[in-house]
Amino acid sequence: MIASEIVILVGAVLIVLASLGVVRFNDTLARTHALIKASSLGIVLVLVGGSFVVGKAGDSAMLLLAAVFQVLTVPVSGHLIGRAVYRSRDISARVDTIDELADH
Amino acid sequence: MITAIFALLVLAGVCFGYRLWIGPTVVDRVIAVDGLLVTGVAALVVEAVRTGVGAFVPVAVVASLVGFVSTSVVARYVEARDRQPLEPEGPGFASGTGRRSQR
Repeated sequence: MIASEIVILVGAVLIVLASLGVVRFNDTLARTHALIKASSLGIVLVLVGGSFVVGKAGDSAMLLLAAVFQVLTVPVSGHLIGRAVYRSRDISARVDTIDELADH
Repeated sequence: MITAIFALLVLAGVCFGYRLWIGPTVVDRVIAVDGLLVTGVAALVVEAVRTGVGAFVPVAVVASLVGFVSTSVVARYVEARDRQPLEPEGPGFASGTGRRSQR
């Protein structure tokens, strides 16, 4: 089926964009941002597109389950990583504008 | 089209591996490993689509959960490592460190 392959292709393109952001951005928080946002949508698109064409119903249900787990866990882990970067002293967590977490 | 998707995933893996190689902090290496895990899961799904064999599909579920656990554990480790010592050396220690003195 061509439509699901297009969905998988869009997801792969998003993963590539996440990797380019991880390589190119010059700040740890920016790299975390690039990976978390782009690759979470990318892997969810790959899993949903794969669930349409994989053979049995159990396999597609398991791919959708993996997509649900990605949606649930990736923002939490991204938040934990960002908080660790912000609170650690030897990593530059440079904030350009107003630092709204300054008194927390 | 499957070949193009595999080529894109190889490119993503090379980029994540480069960041894993040069990453100046441990957090950069952690997010590079996380991206490598995402790339591997995507390659697994594409392989299952290409061959029609769904034997490795549960690995996608397990890898997502294990990746979350490993990332959060390393984040806790980084926070605990960089936390201030229990007994500060002298006066002015808590006020000199700025925003991280709240910990």
